[in-house]
Amino acid sequence: MSDPKLVDRLERERDTEPGDHKMPGTVVLTALLLLCFVVYYFANWKALADVWHVR
Amino acid sequence: MTSLALPVGNFRTGEARTCDTTGLPVCLHAQRFIKLNAVCAVVALLVGAIGAILLGLTRWPAVHLLPADWYYRVLTLHGINMLIFWIIFLEIAILYFAGTTLLKTRLASTKLAWTSFLLMAVGAVLTNITILQGTADVMMTSYAPLQAHSNFYLGMILFAVGALLGVGNFFACVWIARRDKTYQGSMPLVAFGALAAAIIAVVAILHGAIALVPTWLWSLGLMDAPDAGWYRLLWWGIGHQSQQINVCAMVSTWYLLATLTVGAKPLNQLVCRSAFVLYVLFINIASAHHLLVDPGVSAGWKIWNTSYAMYLAVLASMIHGFTVPAAVEVAQRKKGHDRGLFGWLVKAPWANPGFSAFFLSLIIFGFIGGITGVTLGTQQINIIAHNTLRIPGHFHATVVGGTSLAFMGLCYYVVPLIFRREYAARALCRLQPYLFGIGIVLVSIGMSFAGSYGVPRRHWDVEFSGAPFAKGFDSGAHVMLGLMGIGAVLAFVGLLTFILLTVHAVFLGKRNEGRAMTAW
Amino acid sequence: MSIHQPPDDWFQAPHGPERVWIGLALAWCLILFLMMPYWHFRGKQNSTGEAYRTTPAEFAERVNRFIDANKVGEENGVPLVEPAPGSDIYLAAQMWRWYPALKLKKDQTYRLHVSSLDVQHGFSLQPMNMNFQILPGYDHVLTVTPTQSGDYLIICNEFCGINHHLMTGRIRVEG
Ligand code: HEM
Ligand SMILES: [Cu+2]
Ligand SMILES: [Cu+2]
Repeated sequence: MSDPKLVDRLERERDTEPGDHKMPGTVVLTALLLLCFVVYYFANWKALADVWHVR
Repeated sequence: MTSLALPVGNFRTGEARTCDTTGLPVCLHAQRFIKLNAVCAVVALLVGAIGAILLGLTRWPAVHLLPADWYYRVLTLHGINMLIFWIIFLEIAILYFAGTTLLKTRLASTKLAWTSFLLMAVGAVLTNITILQGTADVMMTSYAPLQAHSNFYLGMILFAVGALLGVGNFFACVWIARRDKTYQGSMPLVAFGALAAAIIAVVAILHGAIALVPTWLWSLGLMDAPDAGWYRLLWWGIGHQSQQINVCAMVSTWYLLATLTVGAKPLNQLVCRSAFVLYVLFINIASAHHLLVDPGVSAGWKIWNTSYAMYLAVLASMIHGFTVPAAVEVAQRKKGHDRGLFGWLVKAPWANPGFSAFFLSLIIFGFIGGITGVTLGTQQINIIAHNTLRIPGHFHATVVGGTSLAFMGLCYYVVPLIFRREYAARALCRLQPYLFGIGIVLVSIGMSFAGSYGVPRRHWDVEFSGAPFAKGFDSGAHVMLGLMGIGAVLAFVGLLTFILLTVHAVFLGKRNEGRAMTAW
Repeated sequence: MSIHQPPDDWFQAPHGPERVWIGLALAWCLILFLMMPYWHFRGKQNSTGEAYRTTPAEFAERVNRFIDANKVGEENGVPLVEPAPGSDIYLAAQMWRWYPALKLKKDQTYRLHVSSLDVQHGFSLQPMNMNFQILPGYDHVLTVTPTQSGDYLIICNEFCGINHHLMTGRIRVEG
C-alpha cells in the first residue's frame, strides 16, 4: 500500500502537536508485554528456588 | 522513471539516479555493492537453511536424521552461515544504502568496497570449505582449547577484516556527506540507527581480532593455547556485541518498513535517537551474560556487567517496542482506520509481505526473544538455563524471528527498488512471512520448554544410549522437541520459499523501473 | 521522518503515554537489577565463580588421591566414592566421562571441585537442571547442598568432541 507519492507527502506535512496523537492500542499491547514479562521472569525465580543450594 | 535531472547531493553526472518511490538519490556505485552483498547474504542463507532442516530433523527424537559426526559438522555450518555470513553480508548492504542514499551522498571509495567485498567472500568460502572437509567440527564459538584447522580461523579473520573495511567505507560516506553538506541539520533516523550499529561493529570486530588472531597462530603451532576463560571473555566480546548490531539494524529496518508500508513516522525523534545511543553506551561488557556460570569471574562482576545496574540496553529495546507500533497506530488512525482499540491493526496492510514480516518480527522479538533473553541473562537464573536448549530457543526468537524476518521484509523492497525487478507469484510472497514466522515461533517455544526440562543444546542424543550412565528425559521434553521439529519444517519451507522467490526476482523478475510493488 | 531529515525542532521531551511507558520500563529495569543483589544475599542458589588456578596434571592427581581415600565400590566401570559430609570433594571432566561417581548425603554441604583435564565441558545435573561451565586450568568450586535424594545424572552440555553426547556421570544422594 505504498503509493509512490506517499513519502513526498509526508515530508511536506508538518508535525501536528504531539499531544494530539492517540495510541490506545499500543498502550494495551505494551501493557500485555510487560505482564508476560513479569509472569515469566518471576516464574523462573520460583523454578530456581526449587533446585539444590549452591554458592 | 529515472529522472534526467542530476539528483540532489554531491554526485557527478551519471553517478546516481533518483528513486521513484522515495525521491532519494541512489548512488550507482553503492547500488552495485548493495546487490553484491545482498546476493552473498542470500547464498549463505541457503546454505544455512539446508543445515537448519537437517538439524531440526535430527533434534526431533522421532526422526533423529543425521549421524553424530554430521550433526556436529552441520551445526557448525548452520551457526556460522546464518549468524555470521547471512546477517553480516546483509548488514553491510544496509550500511551502503544508509551511508549513501539516506545521506544523499556518493560512495566514498569503490576500491575500498571491492577490497571489503572480496575479503568477505574469500573468507566465507574458506571457512565453509574447511567445515565441510570435516576439519573444523568446533561449533561457531570454537572454544579453545578445542582446535580447528587453521584455515577455519583464517577465513573468519578475513571475513571480519572485510566487514571492518565495509564499516570504514560507511564512516567515510558520513564524513563526505558532512563535508559536502548534502544534508542539513540531523541525519535521518534510519541513518542514525545504522551509525549506532556501525560504531558497535568496530568495537565488536576489535574484540574478535584479539580472540581469533592468537587462536589462529596457536593452530599454526606458533603460540601456546589461549587461556580457556580469557578466550570466552573475548570471543563473546564479538559474539554478543554483534547481536547488538543486529538489534540496531533490525530496529532501523522496522522504522524504515513502517515508513514504506504505512507511512508511519516516529512520534518523538529524541526518544528514538536516545534509545539508539543507549545501545551504543550500555553493552560494553555484554559478554558477561555468557559467563554467568563460569569459574574465575565473581558474582559482583557478573551482576554489574550483565546489567550496568539499570539494564539500560533493555530499556532501549522496550522504548523501541513502544515507539514503533505507536508510530504505525498514529499513521493508521490518521488515515481513518480509527475504530476501537485495534481497528488500526486489523486494517493494516497484512497482505504486503513487507508489512507482515516487519510486524511479526516486532511481536516475535518483543514477546518471545526479549522476555526470554532478559530472564536467561539474569545472573542466578542462568544456573537453570546455561547451555540448555533454552538458549537457542531464545535466539531463534531474536536473530531469526526478529532480525532475519525483518530483513526478509526489507528484501521485498530492496529487490524492486535497488535491483529494479519485481517478485513473481504474489500469493506465495504474501504467505511467506506467516509460514516462516509461525514455524520459528514453534521452534523457539519447543526449544525453550524442552530446555526447561534440562535438554542440552549442541547434543546429538537425548537418550544417551551407550553412555556409562543413561536416563532419558521426561515425555514432556519429547513433546516439546516434536513441536520444535514441526516448527522447523514449517520455517524451512517458509525460508526456502523466500530464497527461491528472491533469487527468481533478482535474476528473472520483471523489470519495473525501481517502483515499489503496491498491489499486493 | 525515518528516511528524511527530521524537523529542526526535533529535540523535544516525550509526552503522554510515551512518557509514561518510558518511566514504567525504567522502573521495571531497576527491579530486574535489584533482584540479583537481593538473591545474592538472600537466595540459596548463586554462582559465585569461586575458582583457583590449576593444571590438568595437578588436578588429576588430587582426584586420584580423593578416590583412593574414599572409594566404596564401583559402578558401570566408574569408581564410586563416598566422602565425609562437609569435606572437599573432586570431580574430573575428561573426554568423555565424569570421574568418579559420587555418593552424597542429603542436606549436607560439600565443596565440590570440578575441573577439566582437556577441553571445555558443561556440568549439567539432570533432572535437577543445574548447569555450570567447566574449564581446563580452572578449579571451579561449587559449595553445594543436595536437598533431594535419588540418583542424578551428570551430562555434558558443552560440545567437547565427537562423543560429547556419551559423556555422563553419576551423583547418588542418600538419606
Ligand atoms: C528455518 C529456520 C531455522 C531452523 C529450523 C533452525 C533450527 C536450528 C536448530 C535445530 C539448531 C540446533 C540447536 C542445537 O541442537 O543445539 C539451530 C542452531 C542455531 N541456529 Fe538455527 N534455525 C533456523 C534459522 C536460523 C537463522 C536464520 C539463524 C541466524 C540468523 C540461526 C542461528 C542459529 C545459531 C547461531 C545456532 C547455534 C549453533 C551452535 O550451537 O553453535 N538459525 N538452529
Ligand atoms: Cu564434555
Ligand atoms: Cu561435552
